[in-house]
Amino acid sequence: MLNLLNNSGYIVSLTILTSVFAIFALGLNLQWGFSGLINFGHIAFMTIGAYTTVMLSLAGIPLIVAVIIGAALAALLGFIIGISTLRLREDYLAIVTVGVSELVRLVANNEEWLTRGVQGVRRYQIPFVDWEPGIFGKVMAIILLTSIAIFAEWQLLRGIKTQLQEYHSTKNKSSDQPRKPITVITWGSIATVIILFVYINGTISLYDYHYQAGLMVLVLLVLALVYWGLEILVRSPWGRVIKAIREDEEIVRALGKNVFWYKLQAFMLGGAIAGVAGSFYAWQLNAVYPNSFEPLQTFNAWIIVVIGGAGNNSGTILGAIIFWTYDALTRFLLPQLGIDNARLSALRIMVIGLILMILVMWRPQGILGKKEELTLGK
Amino acid sequence: MTEDILLSAKGLSKSFGGILAVNNAKIELKSGSITGLIGPNGAGKTTLFNLLANFYPPDRGQVIFDREPIHQLPTYKIARRGMVRTFQVARVLSRLSVLENMLLAPQKQLGENLVKVWFDRKTIRKEEKINREKAMSILESVGLDNKARDYAGALSGGQRKLLEIARALMSDPKLILLDEPAAGVNPALIERICQHILNWNQAGISFLIIEHNMDVVMSLCDHIWVLAEGSNLADGTPEEIQNNPNVLKAYFGQ
Repeated sequence: MLNLLNNSGYIVSLTILTSVFAIFALGLNLQWGFSGLINFGHIAFMTIGAYTTVMLSLAGIPLIVAVIIGAALAALLGFIIGISTLRLREDYLAIVTVGVSELVRLVANNEEWLTRGVQGVRRYQIPFVDWEPGIFGKVMAIILLTSIAIFAEWQLLRGIKTQLQEYHSTKNKSSDQPRKPITVITWGSIATVIILFVYINGTISLYDYHYQAGLMVLVLLVLALVYWGLEILVRSPWGRVIKAIREDEEIVRALGKNVFWYKLQAFMLGGAIAGVAGSFYAWQLNAVYPNSFEPLQTFNAWIIVVIGGAGNNSGTILGAIIFWTYDALTRFLLPQLGIDNARLSALRIMVIGLILMILVMWRPQGILGKKEELTLGK
Repeated sequence: MTEDILLSAKGLSKSFGGILAVNNAKIELKSGSITGLIGPNGAGKTTLFNLLANFYPPDRGQVIFDREPIHQLPTYKIARRGMVRTFQVARVLSRLSVLENMLLAPQKQLGENLVKVWFDRKTIRKEEKINREKAMSILESVGLDNKARDYAGALSGGQRKLLEIARALMSDPKLILLDEPAAGVNPALIERICQHILNWNQAGISFLIIEHNMDVVMSLCDHIWVLAEGSNLADGTPEEIQNNPNVLKAYFGQ
């Protein structure tokens, strides 16, 4: 355990992984949490993003352009799936998306001229690998990290403030108990500790510079931007339309909105976000193989969204943190109980199933979801 | 005379499987009127509504709204032209607040454009402010202003009906199709709903109303169409309809 905490390199790569999956799950949250589109093939978008980025950068195209093209192709995949299936009822959409994600993976597996098949793609360009920052570069990176940390803390405080206000305004009212101030403050403090921990660790590793530290700052920056962009979006009239579609699309149609087009937009945007997550995933992995993109990853994203609370962007980020903290802790703690590896991995999956069951009974709305929303009749 | 016809439908037919739900039906209403559509249960009134708003594509027939054919337009485009419908069982967007339900209705909102959401925030904020004020004044007039922040799903049945009509109104329509506005609503509230319909009609909005409550129909409507077994049975002023033997027969089975 102490090893784990002392190893700043490990914490950095854990931070990257968490952020990648937070971005990935934010895309799913836009599709499912806000628009009500069941996507069981989210990994397909990530696969497209990852492969496009590495293949294009191998062909000598600048990384940033490669990432943008990757996101665009992921959105294009969303367009193709969407145009053919978004008119279907939601459960059919779910089936089609599973199929498509397997299709994409199998194409990556077999089309060796394009993706090098099972051998995977290696030795591609990764941002910051050749960068040797002087003191100025390091200071700039630390300043950037500081502003991201301040942004995160500001968002957190804003969330706490709303929660407390909600408590005061509904205290005397209805049957549903809002969170008590003490709970809100405890959770807020834990989140602050996590932010500080990641920040301090990040600063140290930026100082003893390793390329992963640079990658970490970049992925955190992208996560902050995606989060901020989505927050603006879901509070806008556009967000209102997609939430309304989630509730009852016939009403929305009767009010003069082109429902199909909005669903398509949400689906494509969620796909593009997952595509960007794919680029970072490829950089984090150092080598991409088709089996890095198994359907299990889609369900990891679902677990993250469900834990945090569907339709809540901060909840999704919290879900990613919980998911990967759990993953890291069990990876390091359980072997000390003397369980062998095969049983260990089975046990970890069992425990996560148990956690999900408890969560669904105790807080079916997810940690940051709103309970009142579950009790409303149609 | 033909100048001020707002909506006219001719030869509308729709069958589901072997059942002819609407058979060669015709309806016409004048601009600025309150028109009633009555008929026994299963007469095809709601189906006719669905055909007018193209929720179901008609098998045959044409619908002309505001001098232009609309029967081949997608539903949302019909709504944009100013014909908005409500549903027989009031449908609200449960997990949105009452105010958000209202704010969904205005047409051509800048903030509904995905790109403008990020790059034109100031204009959108202004637009939202105007819409919010308008929504609050409509909610106030129907007595739902103190519920504006509540979830729409927490409203009672009668309040949902009010919200649905208020929401239709919010979209600045020329014509509102109301499907049983008085069903399941207490008598005091029915009176208020009727008063609102009359007020809004004064302000220039036309209504087409399906209703079983004869007091409501007779007191509100200028003109009534009667449908039975999918076909037109009669049409005329409330007095004519009340004295029409065919209508009495269809309703009371004599």
